[in-house]
Amino acid sequence: MMCSKLKKNKLFIMIGLLYIGLLLVNPGKALEAFNNSIYYLKEMFIILPVIFLLTVAIEALIPKSVIIKSFGKNSGLKGNFLAFLLGSLSAGPIYAAFPIGKTLLSKGASISNIVIILSSWAVIKVPMLANEAKFLGVDFMLIRWLLTVVAILLMAYITAFILKKKELQAHNDNDENTNSLMIKQEYCIGCGLCVRMLPEMYKMKEGKAVVAVTSMEEESVEEIHKTVQKCPVGAIQYTSKIEQN
Amino acid sequence: MDIFTMVFWAIAVLLFLTSIIRSKKNTLEAMKKSKSMMGGMLGEIVAIILLIGLVLTFIPPELVKKVLGTSNTFVSSVVAAIIGSITLIPAFVAFPLVGSLVDVGASIIPAVAFLTTLTMVGVVTFPLERKEFGTKFAFTRNLLSFGFAIVIAWVMGGLL
Repeated sequence: MMCSKLKKNKLFIMIGLLYIGLLLVNPGKALEAFNNSIYYLKEMFIILPVIFLLTVAIEALIPKSVIIKSFGKNSGLKGNFLAFLLGSLSAGPIYAAFPIGKTLLSKGASISNIVIILSSWAVIKVPMLANEAKFLGVDFMLIRWLLTVVAILLMAYITAFILKKKELQAHNDNDENTNSLMIKQEYCIGCGLCVRMLPEMYKMKEGKAVVAVTSMEEESVEEIHKTVQKCPVGAIQYTSKIEQN
Repeated sequence: MDIFTMVFWAIAVLLFLTSIIRSKKNTLEAMKKSKSMMGGMLGEIVAIILLIGLVLTFIPPELVKKVLGTSNTFVSSVVAAIIGSITLIPAFVAFPLVGSLVDVGASIIPAVAFLTTLTMVGVVTFPLERKEFGTKFAFTRNLLSFGFAIVIAWVMGGLL
């Protein structure tokens, strides 16, 4: 536990040590550096709650499942628009978009729309626009946003032109008919939400969540599905034999 | 607080209240989720900001202007785009970092190139993307993103 905490705050500890070292060698400079940081720290804490509130409101008001449902085989402009909406209204790093993109692909979404979802998920986060405007100016934010939307559309069409849908990997994990629960370690960000929701199923190990049990009770199926939905990066994978019967 | 920050605050609070009125349960759940995501980043945010202080103290503005200024934007934008592709810091903290460099005289062209590739091109996440969508898709998307990041940077440099 101690070790994982250290690992998680590696950068913070490194910078802290730098400051302590500097304080010993040249206290004047250390103080100057700290004072220089204060302005940005203050600005950050003014904008942080805005990002938090916007993320929460978007998540609660526009459930992703609604957009995904209306997605279907929609191509054309409406599909593109939905793809932009889904990408820019979602929270989390780009790799959190991979599982969702994959699900939509199997539902018949086009290559260009997958590119739009992944790219807009990466660059045009609505709450992040507030952050960008704060530190780089509103003009900067607006122009970059506009250019990025155009660039993503071009990229989407170019990719669809180069690639055939067949060429996309559509492999599925082969142990589908077993009752299996696993957490994809490469996706997990170690937020610990699943552990708090279901401490009897999951535990933290070296800063990442892992499945703690080997056998499952039937009654926990629903609870597990809840954690699958709640995981902010979609790292929990669950196939239930019980449900399929 | 400047006017734009106030506008953003107003929009955020308004939307948040709407969401509470619409569904208290959903809002609370979304709050929990965001809290776990943002809470994990807090240490990193403060660390990066303290790093900004060090950079501003020890790297003289003249040097920033010379290296990242308007004189050789081609090289600097390509280098910035490469750095952005391989770094994995939340966009969150990238804005104050880049903002501080622009404040002391860095050109916005490398700044935009860095910000765009930071989130859109992922060398670190490339193996994951490849696994999920195949090699050709991952290559095409990342290469196109890299190219367009530089184009966006250049167009912005011309406009602003």
